[in-house]
Amino acid sequence: MSSKGRFTTSVGSVRRGKRIALILRVLLAIVMLIFALFPVLWIISASFNPTGSLVGQPLIPSNPTLANYERLFNNPVNPYPRWYVNSLFVATTVTIFATAITTLAAYAFSRFNFRSRRPLLQAILLIQVFPNFLNMVAIFLILQQFGRYIPALGLNTYGGLFLVYLGGTLGANTWLTKGYFDSIPRDLDEAATVDGASGWQVFWVVLLPLVRPILVVVALLTFIGTYSEYVLARVLLTDKYMYTLAVGLNQMVSQQFAQSWGVFSAGALLAALPTILIFMFFQRYLVGGLTTGAVKG
Amino acid sequence: MSAATQKVPGGAQAPPGAAPTGILSWILRILALALIDGITIWLVYQMVFDGYVPLAATLALVTIWVNIVFLSGRFYPLRYVAPGLALMVIMVLYPILFTFYVSFTNYGTGHLVTKEVAIEVIESQTYLPADATVYRWTAYKNPAGQYKLWLVNPDDPTEVFTVVPGEEPVAHTGEPPAELDGFTQIPTNQLFGELGALSSLTFGVKPDSAFQVSQTSLGQAARFEQQYVYDPAQDAMIDQQTGEVYYNVNGTFTSESGKTLTPGFAVMTGFQNYVRLFTDPTLSSTFLQVFIWTVVFALMSVFLTFVLGMFLAIVFDVPEMPLRAPLRSLLLIPYTIPAFVAVPVWVGLLNPQFGIISQMIATFTGGWVPAWFTDPIWAKVGILLIQTWLGFPYMFVVVTGALQTLPNDIYEAADLDGANAWAKFRKITLPLLLVTVGPLLVASFAFNFNNFVVISLYNQGGPPMPNTPTPVGYTDILATYTYNIAFGAQGRQDFGYASAITMMIFLILFIITQFQFRYTNMLEERGRNV
Amino acid sequence: MRNKLLILLSLLVIGTMVLAACGGGQPTAAPAAPAEPAAEEAAPTEAPAAEEAAPTEAPAAEEAAATEAPAADTGVALTIWADEVRAPILEDLGAKFAEQTGVKLVVVQKAIGDIRADFITAAPTGSGPDIILGAHDWIGELNASGLLAPVELGPNAAGFAPNAVQAFTFTDGKIYGMPQATENIALIYNTDLVPTPPTTFDEVKTMSQAIKDAGTKYGFLRQVGDPYHYYPIQTAFGGYIFGQNADGSYNAEDLGLNNEGSVAALTWLDSMYADGLLDRNANITGDLMTSAFQNGDAAMIISGPWAINGIKAAGVPYAVTNIPAGTQPGAPFMGVQGFMLNAFSKNQLLAQTFLQTFVATDETMQAFFDQDPRISAWMPVADKIEDPDLKAFAEAGKVAQPMPNIPAMNSVWGGQGDAITLVETGKLTPQEGADQAQSQVSTAITGQ
Repeated sequence: MSSKGRFTTSVGSVRRGKRIALILRVLLAIVMLIFALFPVLWIISASFNPTGSLVGQPLIPSNPTLANYERLFNNPVNPYPRWYVNSLFVATTVTIFATAITTLAAYAFSRFNFRSRRPLLQAILLIQVFPNFLNMVAIFLILQQFGRYIPALGLNTYGGLFLVYLGGTLGANTWLTKGYFDSIPRDLDEAATVDGASGWQVFWVVLLPLVRPILVVVALLTFIGTYSEYVLARVLLTDKYMYTLAVGLNQMVSQQFAQSWGVFSAGALLAALPTILIFMFFQRYLVGGLTTGAVKG
Repeated sequence: MSAATQKVPGGAQAPPGAAPTGILSWILRILALALIDGITIWLVYQMVFDGYVPLAATLALVTIWVNIVFLSGRFYPLRYVAPGLALMVIMVLYPILFTFYVSFTNYGTGHLVTKEVAIEVIESQTYLPADATVYRWTAYKNPAGQYKLWLVNPDDPTEVFTVVPGEEPVAHTGEPPAELDGFTQIPTNQLFGELGALSSLTFGVKPDSAFQVSQTSLGQAARFEQQYVYDPAQDAMIDQQTGEVYYNVNGTFTSESGKTLTPGFAVMTGFQNYVRLFTDPTLSSTFLQVFIWTVVFALMSVFLTFVLGMFLAIVFDVPEMPLRAPLRSLLLIPYTIPAFVAVPVWVGLLNPQFGIISQMIATFTGGWVPAWFTDPIWAKVGILLIQTWLGFPYMFVVVTGALQTLPNDIYEAADLDGANAWAKFRKITLPLLLVTVGPLLVASFAFNFNNFVVISLYNQGGPPMPNTPTPVGYTDILATYTYNIAFGAQGRQDFGYASAITMMIFLILFIITQFQFRYTNMLEERGRNV
Repeated sequence: MRNKLLILLSLLVIGTMVLAACGGGQPTAAPAAPAEPAAEEAAPTEAPAAEEAAPTEAPAAEEAAATEAPAADTGVALTIWADEVRAPILEDLGAKFAEQTGVKLVVVQKAIGDIRADFITAAPTGSGPDIILGAHDWIGELNASGLLAPVELGPNAAGFAPNAVQAFTFTDGKIYGMPQATENIALIYNTDLVPTPPTTFDEVKTMSQAIKDAGTKYGFLRQVGDPYHYYPIQTAFGGYIFGQNADGSYNAEDLGLNNEGSVAALTWLDSMYADGLLDRNANITGDLMTSAFQNGDAAMIISGPWAINGIKAAGVPYAVTNIPAGTQPGAPFMGVQGFMLNAFSKNQLLAQTFLQTFVATDETMQAFFDQDPRISAWMPVADKIEDPDLKAFAEAGKVAQPMPNIPAMNSVWGGQGDAITLVETGKLTPQEGADQAQSQVSTAITGQ
């Protein structure tokens, strides 16, 4: 777990050097925190500001109020709590399946040698690179056609939305996971195989526990990506009770002239909570990893 | 069927006996495949019958491929890739091919439907001949679901008759009764539900006694005539009322006097869109500028976020750093705020008059503020600043994860050799990181190359360039330019043209990515030998 | 290997037969017969399933008046897209409609900008709504692709304001929407800082100077670019975008972006910046402009009824008045919201009847007004408006010109917006700006 080898000098007045370095690190942390959180402060401020404006207002609103938050939950038109639940449901489901798909594929790309390995890896990345703003029409047609025969996979269904999101799973994350697999020595595989393990068992029993940190990263990135996706969801979901938070919030500020920034800010803040909480909770897996002793022998 | 161990230098190895041979796994696989195949066959059959051939073909091919992969031991590794790959082919590759196809058509405003649909819609239009009588109808229905109309001529109350689809009208007298020959009058509160059915029928017998219910006014029916008839020989629509002929001109039925019929339909236009791409003066004059900025924008976005994220990841990844977990969580927050929230906030903060960041700058410079939105250079700086803010947490998280994979022994060896921190970073950390993170940088470059959301939210691509043939701004990237064409800022939606531009963008990205591949591939080999 | 294949094949055959037998193996119906109006290749998503309605009590004879017994559900549905302000009103209306006719009203709520874009995607595929509630200037683009069917205003047509109906009338003389509400912008001013409102733009300038000298940041403030909000200034000096024909329709060939009046308007605007009354680098957005007014940093703005709630919440004393004049009274755009009909809908007659008999009534129009106070396009309701702000907007709207609904209008926003911005930021002179607008927009109109 220690990375002490990377960023320090090996000789000299270690203790004093270390203390100065530490102070510098903490200072840097404070500066970065200000940089990262300053705009967020403004969003918080806007959420308590009754004028509904996002800019041109003082940081501490002159008439602070909870009205925006109240309107979020009491709004007969926009079922915000429902959107919250929908978003969590969609993001979690997609994350689980996407992580599974990614990990399985990465295992194969890392551990096996087959003729299409390199071309496939390149193809995956290239396809992700394709500008997708015109895909809307094609995806709309695909789901419309599916929906005629399998209603659960049509327009305005979560089934259809999952298909679209999961279709885009293979990509850079696969590479990332594969790289992580690559860093685990193959002796482990061989030892297990000698004991009679099949390909699947090598994956499931031996390797999977070891790649947990990268799984966390991939899961987190997928969750955030899905949670805040609104371009596709907006076109595919037509029933406002099916909306995700991203679609609903975006609608609040898409009116031509009168955006409700106050309510929107309140909604956006609350919407950001799950991601932060999830990350805080899963952090320890992030930095667990190889050096916790699994590698010896 | 058992794969022999292959020792390929620097390559992956297939563990011996990788493909399972157990009976149980056999049975499971066959059952699952049979289920999938059954569903697919049923689906494909339906789709082909309804005319959705391309999607059906794709589904069929993918399913066949899946079968091969799961049955043949030779393709064992592909079984792990199959789920993701299958989904990708159907949901991502197919739309790409669709876009490619569209680039050879004139799909767009005025050409949104297929020829069959256009003909059908135009042929369904009717007109009322000048001398025709408009009758008032009352509707009847019998238990078998058939309809009958009771028609009265409002100008001549003695002209009363009933009519049923396919039969001659029958004269009657008096008021419409509640029951008539087994038909019951449809009550008012059920009538609305029947309107769809009623309007789809032709009552009576053609050609002289065919009545239809009016589509626009409730209660009226008349002998409507079909207005247009399609003549395949001339590939034209013929107006039955005036005799005017509308020829098919590139997907729009146009008469010699210049009148057109809507809807128009999409037709293949060959390479026209691509030719236009290269010869269009409005596009080519500013293209280079926009292109260069697009590349710079993408590169700088990746560079800045990566450098900052990596720097922070390394600096904070030491055991003596306090509160690392909360620190990381807080630093992640910018990434959790969607762009359509964050960018307007930043735009407000940067505003030269009212934004607090500009005001703070003014106190140091004695009043001068960067013209964040009106000066081309400062606008670009502003956007890159926001991009860095939005993206550094992503790099921070990823590099933190990747740092965990770096083995310690190399560093100990380097320490023994007396290497200093910078040397260790440059020769060990950075190359190893790039192996893992390289593809992500490529993907991030591509993402930002097409990142029209941030650009349009900042200042709609502005500030505008003066003296250009078409409106374009200094911060416009190829994507916003394409988006405008595709979705109507220029007054029409030209999906065909936009698709061609998209293919060109992809080609450019493809070439750039190939170069990046060389770089990351080299690193891959190096990494494996370490 | 051969064995495996055999097993699989047999399972496949069995599987398919089973599925075909149970799961309704009949392929869906072939495309409908030619007589079916507005038919589409794909079978519709809401097929009018005329199920046998359960026998009800003896029906009352009136047309669409309240009947005694609620109608049984016929399984037919009408789909309508509306924005979040009016969707709830339609849902209430829908409940009543279903009760009386047995037809369900499916209300889909979408952001107003999305309604237009998504309609263009969805309508040709047959999966679109039957009715959309949107702005009248959409009909140019939508008609260019044949997406709209003409609307018959029906027996109550006389209740609609003529200029609202004119806005929805297309170049072919047919009406493509049933109007619901009109809106226009006007001059909103701070009554503390501006005791008597200006009546000419020269006065605006002198007042702005005085207000600025007295310590307020801005007298008159406007957002950068934005041809929509700029239009009243342009017309006040005699400029126009499209010339009008004798019958009031717009002529796409007569583009007036660099005529004398338009250049004069730009000159006035430029002088505001040159004299320091407006800041060239400020990048004032609409949001900032309203915000400044709410904070007392600006005394006069040109905006619409949507800004009033925020201003009231900020506690600023305000009033609404007509747009000042240049060489003539400034005419803002009039925007009309209304119901439009999908040409590919399977429920044309039903939708038309719904509009004619349920929407074009005092009751419904009043309900719309009560929940969403905009100037109603239905004259009996509009005459009863008492709110002073709305009346002031209506007064300013007397000279309003409907936004041109010809397709060429869509080509105007980009070029004109850029030109105004370039003049305001000092990158082009007024004449240069006007000329660039004229050339960019005419290029865009003639198309490639």
